[in-house]
Amino acid sequence: MSFESDLLAILPRLRRFAASLSRDRADGDDLCQAALEKALRARDQWQPGTRLDSWMYRIMRNLWIDEARSRQRAARTFAPEEAGEHVGHAGDRDMEAHVMLSDVDRAMHALPDEQREAIALVLVEGLSYKEAAEVLGVPMGTLTSRLVRGRGALIELFGEAA
Amino acid sequence: MTDIDEAMLIAWVDGELDEVTRRRVDRAVAEDPALAGRLEMHRRLRERVSGHYAPVEAEPVPPAMRALLEGGAKVVPLARPATPRWRNWGIGGAIAASLVLGLGIGHLSGGPSGPVAVSDGAMVAQGELASALDTQLASAQDGAAIRIGLSFQRKGGGWCRSFEGQAVAGVACRERQGWQVQQLVPGAGQGTAYRQASSGDARITATVDALMEGAPADAAQEKAARETKWR
Repeated sequence: MSFESDLLAILPRLRRFAASLSRDRADGDDLCQAALEKALRARDQWQPGTRLDSWMYRIMRNLWIDEARSRQRAARTFAPEEAGEHVGHAGDRDMEAHVMLSDVDRAMHALPDEQREAIALVLVEGLSYKEAAEVLGVPMGTLTSRLVRGRGALIELFGEAA
Repeated sequence: MTDIDEAMLIAWVDGELDEVTRRRVDRAVAEDPALAGRLEMHRRLRERVSGHYAPVEAEPVPPAMRALLEGGAKVVPLARPATPRWRNWGIGGAIAASLVLGLGIGHLSGGPSGPVAVSDGAMVAQGELASALDTQLASAQDGAAIRIGLSFQRKGGGWCRSFEGQAVAGVACRERQGWQVQQLVPGAGQGTAYRQASSGDARITATVDALMEGAPADAAQEKAARETKWR
Protein backbone atom coordinates (compact mmCIF):
# COMPACT_ATOMS: atom_id res chain seq x y z
CA MET A 1 0.00 0.00 0.00
CA SER A 2 1.34 3.40 -0.92
CA PHE A 3 1.10 6.52 1.20
CA GLU A 4 -1.58 7.87 -1.14
CA SER A 5 -3.74 4.76 -1.08
CA ASP A 6 -3.46 4.60 2.72
CA LEU A 7 -4.72 8.18 2.82
CA LEU A 8 -7.51 7.37 0.41
CA ALA A 9 -8.62 4.52 2.68
CA ILE A 10 -9.02 6.80 5.71
CA LEU A 11 -10.30 9.78 3.72
CA PRO A 12 -13.99 9.20 4.55
CA ARG A 13 -13.14 9.39 8.26
CA LEU A 14 -10.97 12.46 7.75
CA ARG A 15 -13.85 14.21 5.99
CA ARG A 16 -16.13 13.34 8.89
CA PHE A 17 -13.65 14.79 11.39
CA ALA A 18 -13.29 17.93 9.28
CA ALA A 19 -17.08 18.29 9.13
CA SER A 20 -17.37 18.04 12.91
CA LEU A 21 -14.72 20.75 13.42
CA SER A 22 -16.08 23.12 10.80
CA ARG A 23 -19.08 25.38 10.64
CA ASP A 24 -20.55 23.54 7.67
CA ARG A 25 -19.79 20.77 5.21
CA ALA A 26 -18.27 23.02 2.56
CA ASP A 27 -15.81 24.48 5.07
CA GLY A 28 -15.10 20.95 6.23
CA ASP A 29 -14.18 19.85 2.73
CA ASP A 30 -11.94 22.89 2.26
CA LEU A 31 -10.18 21.98 5.50
CA CYS A 32 -9.89 18.34 4.48
CA GLN A 33 -8.46 19.24 1.08
CA ALA A 34 -5.91 21.58 2.67
CA ALA A 35 -4.89 18.86 5.13
CA LEU A 36 -4.36 16.38 2.30
CA GLU A 37 -2.21 18.86 0.41
CA LYS A 38 -0.18 19.52 3.54
CA ALA A 39 0.21 15.80 4.22
CA LEU A 40 1.48 15.17 0.70
CA ARG A 41 4.05 17.94 1.09
CA ALA A 42 5.10 16.71 4.54
CA ARG A 43 5.00 12.97 3.79
CA ASP A 44 8.66 12.55 4.81
CA GLN A 45 7.71 13.50 8.36
CA TRP A 46 5.33 10.61 8.77
CA GLN A 47 6.98 7.60 10.39
CA PRO A 48 5.85 4.36 8.81
CA GLY A 49 4.54 1.98 11.45
CA THR A 50 2.85 4.78 13.37
CA ARG A 51 -0.83 5.54 12.91
CA LEU A 52 -1.53 7.54 9.81
CA ASP A 53 -5.01 8.51 11.01
CA SER A 54 -3.67 10.09 14.22
CA TRP A 55 -1.06 11.95 12.20
CA MET A 56 -3.73 13.26 9.83
CA TYR A 57 -6.06 14.25 12.68
CA ARG A 58 -3.19 16.25 14.11
CA ILE A 59 -2.41 18.00 10.82
CA MET A 60 -6.05 18.84 10.26
CA ARG A 61 -6.57 20.07 13.78
CA ASN A 62 -3.48 22.31 13.59
CA LEU A 63 -4.60 23.83 10.28
CA TRP A 64 -8.01 24.45 11.75
CA ILE A 65 -6.58 26.12 14.87
CA ASP A 66 -4.30 28.33 12.74
CA GLU A 67 -7.22 29.37 10.61
CA ALA A 68 -9.43 30.07 13.63
CA ARG A 69 -6.69 32.27 15.11
CA SER A 70 -6.10 34.24 11.96
CA ARG A 71 -9.84 34.76 11.63
CA GLN A 72 -9.95 36.11 15.18
CA ARG A 73 -7.06 38.44 14.41
CA ALA A 74 -8.81 39.65 11.29
CA ALA A 75 -12.00 40.26 13.27
CA ARG A 76 -10.08 42.31 15.83
CA THR A 77 -8.23 44.26 13.17
CA PHE A 78 -11.12 45.01 10.89
CA ALA A 79 -14.12 45.44 13.17
CA PRO A 80 -14.44 49.18 13.82
CA GLU A 81 -15.68 50.18 17.26
CA GLU A 82 -18.75 51.94 15.97
CA ALA A 83 -19.94 48.78 14.23
CA GLY A 84 -21.04 47.41 17.57
CA GLU A 85 -23.96 45.40 16.31
CA HIS A 86 -21.80 43.62 13.76
CA VAL A 87 -18.86 42.77 15.95
CA GLY A 88 -18.10 39.08 16.14
CA HIS A 89 -20.14 37.50 13.41
CA ALA A 90 -21.72 39.20 10.47
CA GLY A 91 -25.43 39.40 11.22
CA ASP A 92 -26.72 37.87 8.01
CA ARG A 93 -24.20 35.06 8.21
CA ASP A 94 -25.62 34.06 11.55
CA MET A 95 -29.15 34.21 10.23
CA GLU A 96 -28.15 32.04 7.34
CA ALA A 97 -26.58 29.65 9.81
CA HIS A 98 -29.83 29.40 11.71
CA VAL A 99 -31.68 28.45 8.57
CA MET A 100 -29.13 26.07 7.10
CA LEU A 101 -27.52 24.31 10.02
CA SER A 102 -28.95 21.61 12.20
CA ASP A 103 -29.08 21.79 15.98
CA VAL A 104 -25.96 19.65 16.26
CA ASP A 105 -23.93 21.78 13.83
CA ARG A 106 -25.02 24.91 15.66
CA ALA A 107 -24.32 23.57 19.12
CA MET A 108 -20.89 22.24 18.12
CA HIS A 109 -20.07 25.58 16.56
CA ALA A 110 -20.99 27.35 19.78
CA LEU A 111 -18.42 25.38 21.81
CA PRO A 112 -14.97 26.75 22.59
CA ASP A 113 -12.44 25.28 20.13
CA GLU A 114 -10.68 23.13 22.74
CA GLN A 115 -13.95 21.49 23.77
CA ARG A 116 -15.13 20.98 20.20
CA GLU A 117 -11.96 19.18 19.12
CA ALA A 118 -12.10 16.89 22.15
CA ILE A 119 -15.76 16.05 21.47
CA ALA A 120 -15.03 15.51 17.77
CA LEU A 121 -12.18 13.08 18.39
CA VAL A 122 -13.89 11.01 21.08
CA LEU A 123 -17.62 11.13 20.24
CA VAL A 124 -17.47 11.44 16.46
CA GLU A 125 -14.24 9.63 15.60
CA GLY A 126 -14.45 7.13 18.44
CA LEU A 127 -10.86 7.57 19.63
CA SER A 128 -9.92 6.39 23.10
CA TYR A 129 -9.04 9.04 25.67
CA LYS A 130 -5.38 8.09 25.35
CA GLU A 131 -5.38 8.42 21.56
CA ALA A 132 -7.29 11.71 21.63
CA ALA A 133 -4.98 13.17 24.28
CA GLU A 134 -1.99 12.26 22.11
CA VAL A 135 -3.48 13.88 19.02
CA LEU A 136 -4.13 17.07 20.96
CA GLY A 137 -0.86 16.95 22.88
CA VAL A 138 -2.53 17.38 26.28
CA PRO A 139 -2.57 15.22 29.44
CA MET A 140 -5.49 12.80 29.88
CA GLY A 141 -6.89 14.83 32.77
CA THR A 142 -7.09 17.92 30.56
CA LEU A 143 -8.85 15.95 27.86
CA THR A 144 -11.43 14.47 30.23
CA SER A 145 -12.23 17.82 31.82
CA ARG A 146 -12.78 19.29 28.33
CA LEU A 147 -15.08 16.40 27.53
CA VAL A 148 -17.07 17.00 30.71
CA ARG A 149 -17.40 20.73 30.11
CA GLY A 150 -18.12 20.35 26.40
CA ARG A 151 -20.85 17.86 27.05
CA GLY A 152 -22.41 20.03 29.72
CA ALA A 153 -22.50 22.90 27.24
CA LEU A 154 -24.03 20.73 24.49
CA ILE A 155 -26.75 19.45 26.80
CA GLU A 156 -27.58 23.01 27.76
CA LEU A 157 -27.66 24.13 24.12
CA PHE A 158 -29.86 21.22 23.06
CA GLY A 159 -32.12 21.95 26.00
CA GLU A 160 -32.69 25.45 24.67
CA ALA A 161 -33.30 24.22 21.14
CA ALA A 162 -35.88 21.62 22.19
CA MET B 1 -25.19 10.40 48.11
CA THR B 2 -22.80 8.48 45.90
CA ASP B 3 -19.24 9.19 44.89
CA ILE B 4 -20.11 8.80 41.20
CA ASP B 5 -19.33 12.05 39.44
CA GLU B 6 -20.12 13.36 35.96
CA ALA B 7 -16.70 12.40 34.61
CA MET B 8 -17.32 8.79 35.63
CA LEU B 9 -20.70 8.63 33.92
CA ILE B 10 -19.15 10.08 30.80
CA ALA B 11 -16.25 7.64 30.91
CA TRP B 12 -18.83 4.83 31.25
CA VAL B 13 -20.53 6.00 28.05
CA ASP B 14 -17.18 6.35 26.26
CA GLY B 15 -16.18 2.83 27.26
CA GLU B 16 -13.22 4.08 29.26
CA LEU B 17 -13.93 2.55 32.67
CA ASP B 18 -12.13 -0.51 33.92
CA GLU B 19 -14.29 -3.47 34.84
CA VAL B 20 -14.28 -2.80 38.59
CA THR B 21 -15.26 0.85 38.30
CA ARG B 22 -17.87 0.10 35.66
CA ARG B 23 -19.59 -2.36 38.01
CA ARG B 24 -19.48 0.20 40.79
CA VAL B 25 -21.23 2.73 38.53
CA ASP B 26 -23.75 0.09 37.44
CA ARG B 27 -24.66 -0.66 41.06
CA ALA B 28 -25.02 3.01 41.93
CA VAL B 29 -27.17 3.62 38.86
CA ALA B 30 -29.44 0.70 39.72
CA GLU B 31 -30.15 2.27 43.11
CA ASP B 32 -30.51 5.86 42.00
CA PRO B 33 -33.02 6.83 39.30
CA ALA B 34 -31.62 10.36 39.07
CA LEU B 35 -28.18 8.97 38.36
CA ALA B 36 -29.67 6.55 35.83
CA GLY B 37 -31.31 9.51 34.12
CA ARG B 38 -27.99 11.32 33.86
CA LEU B 39 -26.28 8.27 32.43
CA GLU B 40 -29.04 7.89 29.87
CA MET B 41 -28.76 11.56 28.96
CA HIS B 42 -25.04 11.20 28.27
CA ARG B 43 -25.60 8.03 26.27
CA ARG B 44 -28.16 9.82 24.11
CA LEU B 45 -25.89 12.82 23.66
CA ARG B 46 -23.07 10.66 22.35
CA GLU B 47 -25.49 8.88 20.02
CA ARG B 48 -26.89 12.15 18.73
CA VAL B 49 -23.53 13.76 18.01
CA SER B 50 -21.91 10.71 16.45
CA GLY B 51 -25.07 9.89 14.50
CA HIS B 52 -25.17 13.40 13.10
CA TYR B 53 -21.74 13.20 11.46
CA ALA B 54 -21.81 9.49 10.60
CA PRO B 55 -23.39 10.00 7.13
CA VAL B 56 -20.39 12.08 6.02
CA GLU B 57 -18.24 8.97 6.19
CA ALA B 58 -20.62 7.10 3.90
CA GLU B 59 -20.66 9.78 1.21
CA PRO B 60 -18.55 9.41 -1.91
CA VAL B 61 -15.27 11.29 -1.60
CA PRO B 62 -15.23 14.55 -3.61
CA PRO B 63 -13.42 14.10 -6.93
CA ALA B 64 -10.90 16.85 -6.20
CA MET B 65 -9.66 14.98 -3.11
CA ARG B 66 -9.66 11.63 -4.85
CA ALA B 67 -7.72 13.08 -7.76
CA LEU B 68 -5.16 14.56 -5.38
CA LEU B 69 -4.40 11.07 -4.09
CA GLU B 70 -4.67 9.21 -7.36
CA GLY B 71 -1.80 10.88 -9.11
CA GLY B 72 -3.42 14.01 -10.49
CA ALA B 73 -1.31 16.56 -8.69
CA LYS B 74 -2.31 19.43 -10.98
CA VAL B 75 -6.05 18.90 -10.88
CA VAL B 76 -8.15 21.97 -10.33
CA PRO B 77 -10.10 21.69 -7.07
CA LEU B 78 -13.88 21.73 -7.31
CA ALA B 79 -15.27 25.20 -7.74
CA ARG B 80 -18.18 26.13 -5.60
CA PRO B 81 -20.23 29.30 -5.50
CA ALA B 82 -19.34 30.43 -1.97
CA THR B 83 -16.06 32.29 -1.58
CA PRO B 84 -13.63 29.83 -0.05
CA ARG B 85 -12.38 31.10 3.28
CA TRP B 86 -9.41 28.74 3.39
CA ARG B 87 -7.98 30.47 0.37
CA ASN B 88 -4.80 31.47 2.17
CA TRP B 89 -3.65 27.88 1.91
CA GLY B 90 -3.08 28.40 -1.74
CA ILE B 91 -6.14 26.72 -3.20
CA GLY B 92 -7.14 29.88 -5.02
CA GLY B 93 -3.62 30.25 -6.30
CA ALA B 94 -3.61 26.68 -7.49
CA ILE B 95 -6.79 27.26 -9.47
CA ALA B 96 -5.39 30.36 -11.08
CA ALA B 97 -2.08 28.69 -11.91
CA SER B 98 -3.73 25.63 -13.43
CA LEU B 99 -6.05 27.72 -15.52
CA VAL B 100 -3.31 29.93 -16.87
CA LEU B 101 -1.26 26.86 -17.70
CA GLY B 102 -4.13 25.05 -19.30
CA LEU B 103 -5.60 27.82 -21.35
CA GLY B 104 -2.36 29.35 -22.45
CA ILE B 105 -3.95 32.76 -21.96
CA GLY B 106 -3.70 35.16 -19.09
CA HIS B 107 -7.20 36.55 -19.02
CA LEU B 108 -9.78 34.46 -17.37
CA SER B 109 -12.53 36.59 -16.00
CA GLY B 110 -14.28 39.08 -18.17
CA GLY B 111 -12.29 38.25 -21.27
CA PRO B 112 -14.68 37.35 -24.06
CA SER B 113 -12.22 35.05 -25.79
CA GLY B 114 -11.56 32.29 -23.26
CA PRO B 115 -13.69 29.19 -22.74
CA VAL B 116 -14.23 29.87 -19.03
CA ALA B 117 -15.27 32.90 -17.03
CA VAL B 118 -15.37 33.30 -13.28
CA SER B 119 -18.83 34.28 -12.13
CA ASP B 120 -19.80 34.57 -8.45
CA GLY B 121 -16.69 32.65 -7.52
CA ALA B 122 -17.49 29.70 -9.77
CA MET B 123 -15.99 28.78 -13.13
CA VAL B 124 -18.63 29.00 -15.83
CA ALA B 125 -18.26 27.94 -19.46
CA GLN B 126 -18.64 30.70 -22.04
CA GLY B 127 -18.33 31.25 -25.78
CA GLU B 128 -17.58 28.26 -27.91
CA LEU B 129 -17.36 25.88 -24.98
CA ALA B 130 -20.76 26.97 -23.64
CA SER B 131 -22.43 26.53 -26.99
CA ALA B 132 -20.79 23.13 -27.53
CA LEU B 133 -22.11 22.04 -24.13
CA ASP B 134 -25.55 23.43 -24.96
CA THR B 135 -26.00 22.05 -28.44
CA GLN B 136 -23.40 19.50 -29.49
CA LEU B 137 -24.33 15.83 -29.39
CA ALA B 138 -21.65 13.30 -28.54
CA SER B 139 -23.09 11.13 -31.29
CA ALA B 140 -22.62 13.76 -34.02
CA GLN B 141 -19.60 16.00 -33.79
CA ASP B 142 -17.32 15.35 -36.73
CA GLY B 143 -14.73 18.05 -37.05
CA ALA B 144 -15.94 20.09 -34.07
CA ALA B 145 -13.28 22.08 -32.24
CA ILE B 146 -14.56 20.92 -28.88
CA ARG B 147 -15.59 17.32 -28.51
CA ILE B 148 -18.15 16.16 -26.00
CA GLY B 149 -17.19 12.96 -24.22
CA LEU B 150 -20.02 11.75 -22.02
CA SER B 151 -23.36 13.21 -21.02
CA PHE B 152 -24.71 11.93 -17.75
CA GLN B 153 -26.98 12.63 -14.79
CA ARG B 154 -25.17 13.55 -11.62
CA LYS B 155 -25.99 12.25 -8.17
CA GLY B 156 -28.65 14.49 -6.69
CA GLY B 157 -29.92 15.39 -10.18
CA GLY B 158 -28.88 17.59 -13.08
CA TRP B 159 -26.91 17.07 -16.28
CA CYS B 160 -23.14 17.02 -16.62
CA ARG B 161 -20.95 16.61 -19.70
CA SER B 162 -17.26 15.93 -20.16
CA PHE B 163 -15.48 17.81 -22.93
CA GLU B 164 -12.14 18.01 -24.68
CA GLY B 165 -10.67 20.80 -26.73
CA GLN B 166 -7.28 21.94 -27.96
CA ALA B 167 -6.46 23.92 -24.85
CA VAL B 168 -8.62 22.44 -22.15
CA ALA B 169 -10.53 19.33 -21.22
CA GLY B 170 -12.82 18.83 -18.28
CA VAL B 171 -16.26 18.27 -16.84
CA ALA B 172 -19.10 20.78 -16.54
CA CYS B 173 -22.51 20.53 -14.91
CA ARG B 174 -25.63 22.48 -15.78
CA GLU B 175 -26.59 25.00 -13.11
CA ARG B 176 -29.05 27.83 -13.21
CA GLN B 177 -26.55 30.37 -14.51
CA GLY B 178 -25.05 28.06 -17.12
CA TRP B 179 -22.46 25.29 -17.31
CA GLN B 180 -20.42 25.29 -14.14
CA VAL B 181 -17.00 23.81 -14.76
CA GLN B 182 -16.27 21.12 -12.18
CA GLN B 183 -12.81 20.27 -13.40
CA LEU B 184 -10.40 21.66 -15.94
CA VAL B 185 -7.16 20.07 -17.10
CA PRO B 186 -4.88 20.97 -19.99
CA GLY B 187 -6.16 19.77 -23.35
CA ALA B 188 -4.36 17.48 -25.74
CA GLY B 189 -3.65 20.34 -28.14
CA GLN B 190 -0.50 22.39 -28.27
CA GLY B 191 2.82 21.31 -26.94
CA THR B 192 4.04 17.87 -26.06
CA ALA B 193 4.22 18.63 -22.36
CA TYR B 194 0.48 18.33 -21.87
CA ARG B 195 -0.30 15.63 -24.35
CA GLN B 196 -1.33 13.11 -21.76
CA ALA B 197 -4.44 15.09 -20.92
CA SER B 198 -7.59 14.12 -22.77
CA SER B 199 -11.07 12.93 -22.02
CA GLY B 200 -9.39 9.58 -21.50
CA ASP B 201 -7.40 11.30 -18.78
CA ALA B 202 -7.64 9.33 -15.53
CA ARG B 203 -8.40 12.53 -13.64
CA ILE B 204 -11.45 13.27 -15.74
CA THR B 205 -12.54 9.66 -15.58
CA ALA B 206 -12.32 9.82 -11.78
CA THR B 207 -14.43 12.97 -11.70
CA VAL B 208 -17.05 11.48 -14.00
CA ASP B 209 -17.15 8.31 -11.92
CA ALA B 210 -17.58 10.26 -8.72
CA LEU B 211 -20.33 12.50 -10.09
CA MET B 212 -22.31 10.10 -12.24
CA GLU B 213 -25.56 8.49 -11.17
CA GLY B 214 -26.09 5.26 -13.07
CA ALA B 215 -24.94 5.01 -16.67
CA PRO B 216 -24.08 7.71 -19.23
CA ALA B 217 -26.87 8.91 -21.53
CA ASP B 218 -27.29 7.16 -24.87
CA ALA B 219 -27.82 9.10 -28.10
CA ALA B 220 -31.60 9.32 -27.67
CA GLN B 221 -31.42 10.45 -24.04
CA GLU B 222 -28.78 13.01 -24.92
CA LYS B 223 -30.95 14.41 -27.69
CA ALA B 224 -33.99 14.59 -25.39
CA ALA B 225 -31.93 16.39 -22.75
CA ARG B 226 -30.77 18.95 -25.33
CA GLU B 227 -34.38 19.53 -26.29
CA THR B 228 -35.29 20.41 -22.71
CA LYS B 229 -32.19 22.63 -22.48
CA TRP B 230 -30.50 20.28 -20.00
CA ARG B 231 -32.92 21.12 -17.19
